[in-house]
Amino acid sequence: MKLMRVSEALKWVLLVWLAVVIVAAFFYVRPAEGFIGESSRIVFFHVPMAWIAVLAFLVSCITSVMYLRRRDPKDDIRASVSAGLGLLFAVLATTTGAVFARIMWNAYWNWDPRQTSITILLLIYAAYLALRGAIDDPERRASLSAVYAILAFVTVPFLVFVVPRIYWSLHPDTIINTRGSNEFDSRYTQVLMASLVGFTGLYVWLYTIGCRIESVRQRRRQEVL
Amino acid sequence: MSRLLAEALAVAAKDLRTEFRTRVALNALGLFALTVLAAVSYTVGPYRISAGDRPFLLAVLLWIVVFFAALAGLDRSFVKEEESHTAPLLRLAASPTAVWLGKLGFNLILIYLLMAILVPLYCILMGYTIQLIGGFVLILVFGGYALAVITTIIAAIIARALTRGALFSVLSLPLLLPLLIFLIQGTAGAADGTVETVTNTLRAVLSMGGIMTIVSAMLFPVVWTD
Amino acid sequence: MTDLMGIMVVTLMIWVGLFAYVYRLDRKVSRLED
Repeated sequence: MKLMRVSEALKWVLLVWLAVVIVAAFFYVRPAEGFIGESSRIVFFHVPMAWIAVLAFLVSCITSVMYLRRRDPKDDIRASVSAGLGLLFAVLATTTGAVFARIMWNAYWNWDPRQTSITILLLIYAAYLALRGAIDDPERRASLSAVYAILAFVTVPFLVFVVPRIYWSLHPDTIINTRGSNEFDSRYTQVLMASLVGFTGLYVWLYTIGCRIESVRQRRRQEVL
Repeated sequence: MSRLLAEALAVAAKDLRTEFRTRVALNALGLFALTVLAAVSYTVGPYRISAGDRPFLLAVLLWIVVFFAALAGLDRSFVKEEESHTAPLLRLAASPTAVWLGKLGFNLILIYLLMAILVPLYCILMGYTIQLIGGFVLILVFGGYALAVITTIIAAIIARALTRGALFSVLSLPLLLPLLIFLIQGTAGAADGTVETVTNTLRAVLSMGGIMTIVSAMLFPVVWTD
Repeated sequence: MTDLMGIMVVTLMIWVGLFAYVYRLDRKVSRLED
């Protein structure tokens, strides 16, 4: 009961938190140097979205490994829910990134390493969900998609760390370097951090709801049988 | 250990024998590669691309052909087992790791065969001059290996699913894209003589191939024994 | 200045709307679970 009260309160905290972040993003922070016009404000949303897309992927992979070890159907639910959310946030990150790119460099898309990485992440999510859609048997679906998630995860470090080193990048180094960045004033960092926390909270909430929905659905299916 | 190798060799040998009898994968690979090569050679030819762009663009085209040929033919080894219902027998006859090694070996041979024929033809028809031939060969060898490792495990996965053909490409592409990027860069470097690019690429491709080998070896039993 | 205000207001509305939707969903699922 106590836990329910706390989680209820947290939801309202989240509402206020992100609302404050939104207002702050527009009026508390001055536009950053080196950015055209007000475009630096997009970063407050774009970066957390990209971060959640990657976090969701991490969760998917970890729960996939757990599924292969314990064969608990709940882990499979967790993996697929997180993948769905990850896809959503990846799409959002890509779109906001493209808008940003248009403002800054006059082109929605130019395949710089970060854009390439997020595209590949999108493809991975899409492939994962396609695979799940193509298998009827629940246990086989769970184990094969778990294997794929792990395989995909293994290629990600190459994307994130190796590819950008080889290529010259248009992308400001904000994604890896959000902390201790001397280019931005402290207000900027504050809001960015706050936004990251807020988005993470949103993800956690959506994730728990998704898992509960799936559990209910599965329970219903069992009852019918 | 030797038991494992013996079983793996047996699996590979069986696959090779059936393949040379029916030639399905070979046809898929070969026909695709040669058709695209002919089309590209005819329309683009050795003269159309300016000298400055040649190392890079020709690298791009080459690897596109290789990759798509691979996607056309490399799922064969597993799909065939499911279609002809010999998979359960194979599960009884050999250990999962042996099956994996054997299928990997088979796919490797297919890829290297493809490369052996396609690459020289490509270079001749497109007028592709490579300065660092040694580096180029290494890129082909290790790149082909990484390609085979990844496609083998994916083929094993999709063989157990419903819509196999399209799914193979859909699942392979996100994993192969980084590899493709590296290989194109490296080949371009080999063509115009930048040693550093070639060594960077080789390092990346080797680590990718290595990691995928280990992960595939660990995960294959899960996929195979359901 | 007002453009920025406009975008902010829209973003806020989107967020509040989204929150309301997810909250209702949460409620519904809680009911289904019990």
